Amino acid sequence: MARTVGIDLGTTYSLVACVDAATGQPKCIPGPYGETLCPSVVSVDADGRIVAGEPARRRLLTQPERTIYSVKRLMGRGVEDIQDELKLFPFRIDAESQNVIRVRLGERVFTPPEISAFILRELKGWAEEFFSEPVGRAVITVPAYFNDAQRQATRDAGRIAGLEVLRLVNEPTAAALAYGLHEKQRGLVAVYDFGGGTFDISILKLISAGEGDIYQVLATSGDTHLGGDDIDNLLLGIAREEIRREFGADLGQFSETLQELRKTLIRAKHELSVAEATTVKFALPDGGAWVREISRAEFEDWIQRIAERTMGPVKRAMADAGLKPEQIDEAVLVGGSTRIPLVRRRVEELFGRRPHVELNPDEVVALGAAVQANILESGVKDMLLLDVTPLSLGIETMGGVVAKIIPRNSTIPASAAELYTTGVDNQTGIEIHVLQGERELARDCRSLAHFTLKVPPMPAGMARVEVKFLIDANGILQVAARDLHTGEQRSVEVQPSYGLSDAEVERMLEESIEYAEEDFRVRQLIEARTEGESMLHATEKSLVGPQAAELTAGQRAAIDAGMAALRETMAGEDYKLIRARSEALNQATMPLAELMMNRALQMAVGGKRVDEI
Amino acid sequence: MATATTSEILCWSCKAGVVAGAHFCAACGKIQPLPPGTDYFAFFGLPRKLGLDAAELEKRFHELSWKLHPDNFVRSGESERALSLERSSQLNDAFRTLREPVARVEYLLAIEGARKEGTTKQQAPPELLEEVFELNESLDELRAARSAGGSDGELAALRAKLEAAGRSFEEKLREVDTALEAAFVRWDAALDAGADADVRRARIAELNEILNRRSYIRNLVRNVSEELAGA
Repeated sequence: MARTVGIDLGTTYSLVACVDAATGQPKCIPGPYGETLCPSVVSVDADGRIVAGEPARRRLLTQPERTIYSVKRLMGRGVEDIQDELKLFPFRIDAESQNVIRVRLGERVFTPPEISAFILRELKGWAEEFFSEPVGRAVITVPAYFNDAQRQATRDAGRIAGLEVLRLVNEPTAAALAYGLHEKQRGLVAVYDFGGGTFDISILKLISAGEGDIYQVLATSGDTHLGGDDIDNLLLGIAREEIRREFGADLGQFSETLQELRKTLIRAKHELSVAEATTVKFALPDGGAWVREISRAEFEDWIQRIAERTMGPVKRAMADAGLKPEQIDEAVLVGGSTRIPLVRRRVEELFGRRPHVELNPDEVVALGAAVQANILESGVKDMLLLDVTPLSLGIETMGGVVAKIIPRNSTIPASAAELYTTGVDNQTGIEIHVLQGERELARDCRSLAHFTLKVPPMPAGMARVEVKFLIDANGILQVAARDLHTGEQRSVEVQPSYGLSDAEVERMLEESIEYAEEDFRVRQLIEARTEGESMLHATEKSLVGPQAAELTAGQRAAIDAGMAALRETMAGEDYKLIRARSEALNQATMPLAELMMNRALQMAVGGKRVDEI
Repeated sequence: MATATTSEILCWSCKAGVVAGAHFCAACGKIQPLPPGTDYFAFFGLPRKLGLDAAELEKRFHELSWKLHPDNFVRSGESERALSLERSSQLNDAFRTLREPVARVEYLLAIEGARKEGTTKQQAPPELLEEVFELNESLDELRAARSAGGSDGELAALRAKLEAAGRSFEEKLREVDTALEAAFVRWDAALDAGADADVRRARIAELNEILNRRSYIRNLVRNVSEELAGA
């Protein structure tokens, strides 16, 4: 029997989870590295082979032009939408791109849903390995504030990955579900979800009804381009500027060095969530080293404005729910960026209570997705999610003004019917433009689709066509038309403004199968061997260097033993063992790496040891 | 239930007779298509009365959500999935409309044929003409003084004048709300008494007139508070 899973398709990391049949509790499924977090990174190698997750993340440093991260930022967007993004992210956008972006990776070109599909296939592989059974269906989470095009792109990614997408669930709602199960909470709950690339706030009411619990979203708001990425880019900007001033060195816009620096700064950001200060040490390509102490106070000063940007959506959601902060019974923190103490303080201040952090903020969304997947799959229902549409749906009327027909924060599914007629004799088509957003004018809202209603030729004003706009439980628009004279249903061909047609998705599904059919285990084995080889190679190389002589006999013996143990496994088929031994060798070579780092720093700052700086 | 009668509607699945408007077939339990023209009151099995117990409505909304939501039909055939989508969207649309008193009465007026959806008369009620004129004058004066860079003292005086006018209209908004509530009661009483078409029409016309006045006054109050907030 094909299994059903819950997937959190995140900007930085993605996860897959299931409900444990024995305990009835959701849990995240670990991948081949034993970690539940799969980096949302995809890379194409020279022979066209695709890797996703941890091995792809490693290639960010060595083959940045063949590797992409944060692709979620491109989902459901057009080229003109992402101009700001292009200044900060190394996306190589193909010149052919228009309403669907195409990204170049090495020799090939992919759309964002295809790239996301590679991540989904990786996670599907993790789950299939875990169950020893195929996985066919999934609940996938999306930011609550995602618009129709972004949701469609996510659903397309699922289809391209060979998954039947049972439901798209909003990330904060999924988190509330996981928490409700965990804590048995009731009352009014605010979910503050600050992730790698997106920010959402949802206000929910948890009700115990006769049949079970209802999770009713009262209001949601957010910013689909606000997250930990923005903090990273801010730090990177500051570091580049300081390095430029101190060393006169420009690190280039998207160089490998810059990727390395980015990685170093992200580590510093993480450290500042637990320590009061951290020291960044970064070896520059020309031999110098940038050494910089950052205190938490200074860091907080830098990111103050980013944290404050989350408060606008929070206030909007509270106003839409008709609530004051003190009426909120519980606040829940979700997403990696809520580990930052400043963010926690700000949320605590606002709601006047300590927010919940009991569940791992990286995993909680995937856990909730697994709970919902289990409900849909098993048909055994003890809870019900009633979610809302984040943005008002409107149609363009005369003069480019938008008439709102479904207000934001309406419970979904939601619908509205509009009656259309003709303005001139024998007119055979009526143009309809559907938009999403809160602004008055069509040009300020997000265009969802254009379509032409066909009507038989008759005198002006005689035609009577009712168009029904319906937002389904995934938050995706459906359109149907009915001729009121004949009662006939009219098919409506809706061309999405920013999305793939069904035919394109089908073609991509076929193409992706070519790459995907390769057995998961075979792929893992190839990767583990490649990794082992490069580990052995690097160790051999450093053992002939001058620092090797400074190793103690015990350290040297550990390295030799580690190399021998790894070599022994390389011809075997056990990729997990190869990985474990590679990691063991990596640990054994730590002292050597430190000696080499000290040497590099000595040359740069004159004779101090790493731990003295 | 106002008009629940057994008609010749048959269940699409088991062909048993189905009560008009019922969500499910009593015999086989299958979800039923929505008869054309089902209004929001009928959807909830309610008469077209304006006095509504909000807590009771919400409870009913949750009960029906539990039964009609597409979650229940993920593993059903395409036609049942479509029926669930139709019924659950209607449920949400109906709840959204009926829970708000103003949206509720606007909807009633639409289904009683008294107004086309989305159209409201924006004429000043005659007895308010003079005050409306003064209020608009205060608004214009403040805007003009602001764009001309008037002195702090001048702006403060104009603001105070506008605030006073605004307060007077807020009071009128409360009065019109009270009048609306009273008209709700009269409409409901007419329904209870089984009043004839003429009485119904008169009550609807009354509601329509009060609602138009309310919408006019509310717009004025909003303009004033936006102008004052933008200072």
